Amino acid sequence: MAVARPQGADHALLYVPGRSFLHRLNPLTKLTLVLWCAVAAFALPPEGTIPLALLSILIGSFAGAGRVFARRLALTLLPLSVALFVVHGMLVDHAGARASLLGLDLSREGLAYMVRILGRIAALLSGSLLFVCTTHPSRLLKALDAHRFSPGAAYVIASPLLLLEPFTQRAKAIREAQMARGLDLEGSFMTRVKAFPALLMPLVTLALADIDHRAQVLDGRGFRAMPHRTVLDAPADSRQQRAVRWAVLVSIPVLIAGGVLWHL
Amino acid sequence: MALINVSGLSFAYESTPVLQNVNLSVAPGEKLAILGGNGSGKSTLAQWIAGWLPRGSYAANAGEVTVEGQPWAELDAATRAGAVQFVGQVPMQQLSGFSFTVRDEIAFGPGNLALPEAKIRARVDAAVEICNLGHLLDRDPFSLSGGEQQRLSIAAALAMQPRALVLDEPTGNFDPESREALLAQLEKLPGALAIVWCDVTLGAPLSVAERVLLLDGGRIAYDGDVAGLLTHPRTAEIFGLPAVAQTALMLRERGLWPAEAPISMDVGRVASALRPMLESAR
Repeated sequence: MAVARPQGADHALLYVPGRSFLHRLNPLTKLTLVLWCAVAAFALPPEGTIPLALLSILIGSFAGAGRVFARRLALTLLPLSVALFVVHGMLVDHAGARASLLGLDLSREGLAYMVRILGRIAALLSGSLLFVCTTHPSRLLKALDAHRFSPGAAYVIASPLLLLEPFTQRAKAIREAQMARGLDLEGSFMTRVKAFPALLMPLVTLALADIDHRAQVLDGRGFRAMPHRTVLDAPADSRQQRAVRWAVLVSIPVLIAGGVLWHL
Repeated sequence: MALINVSGLSFAYESTPVLQNVNLSVAPGEKLAILGGNGSGKSTLAQWIAGWLPRGSYAANAGEVTVEGQPWAELDAATRAGAVQFVGQVPMQQLSGFSFTVRDEIAFGPGNLALPEAKIRARVDAAVEICNLGHLLDRDPFSLSGGEQQRLSIAAALAMQPRALVLDEPTGNFDPESREALLAQLEKLPGALAIVWCDVTLGAPLSVAERVLLLDGGRIAYDGDVAGLLTHPRTAEIFGLPAVAQTALMLRERGLWPAEAPISMDVGRVASALRPMLESAR
């Protein structure tokens, strides 16, 4: 089933529309795989985390999310690499041999530590990106509903994404209204700091009023009237996917035990 | 038995009285307009009728509201949802915050009642048809215009198949064309559905209502038909009468209005009332 791309919540999502195998997979199966990646990122040695990250990037590219992967990984890993290189390669006095590169005196142990940390973060991040780039939140919600997940918990996942747009619009409106009343938001740093409460207070007050109203709307529409909801167009699931999920979940304690033994 | 019964309701926000000894009942299928100026207590009364009040620290100073003889507080959530639906003034506030598409927003309520999928689809299709939302089904509800969001709110309320629909200034965000479209859509609603329409203007609600209630300073100043409202002394002061009604009243003051014809805001009806007199003058 093709997933409609919403307009309002678009900018808050990294979702890339598509019809790849990964897109069609049940969100809960993908969520289980993300969980496995998160555990593996800490349990596996660098020889495992770096190939895992590369594999995720490769799969992500095949699913049509290569650009999002490249951008997000670069934005996260490049500054972190520089910081780790400077701190652990040059500044922290690690024990062991040192190496010289372009006239810089570097710690081999510090560089190995840097690679270890970067490998973990890359594996964790690329696994998560695989999920968010190929899973629209509405599909995740429907999968949770279809599996009799608590409606209240599902609401906690959905509402921040959906309410971000109206919240941003309101913040802009308050800013413009306060500026029209003479609030200086373009002066010195201190002037802007002093103006901050005039922006924040109405935003918070109105958000609280909205919560009250939305609670009434939810109550009026029978939210949590029944322990479970019926959902239209739930993502397809299969016996094979259920088996994969169970296999992945069972492998997680094994992975953790292996990681602990490796570090001993 | 009345569908909704408000008996001796008095209510204040903190120390400010808003409703004073309000008594009214809404019969199944009845079309009632509650009109009044700003601060007259319409929205508060609408919220009481819809079961949104009392809540938190707000409680009635006296009186109660019952639905089919039972106080709101005694009804479970599913019964409440199927009894009365409320559509407020601010469209964005009516959205559940749970749905990424218009279709899912309409299906949200029936889904909460754990109805079978086929029934939900049928309810969604019917509500979409009435509110003319077919071309917006895959849009994000928060990306719609105010008027579209209001139509969506009404559709979401109708999908609950309530016995009463309470509308609080529902056409505030509508242009004249959308207002006319909504009125046409309301005519398509099942006759058994009671409508309580609260507003500060006479036009749209009076074209739907069979009975009108004028709220003035938290008290019911008038309860009767449309013709009686137009001749009520406070009506012209609060709302200002449209030219056609003013003309009819002026003619009546001068003894030129047919005694048997009710005063109306409808140009066609006024013309019909005046036709015999004009023809005899010719």
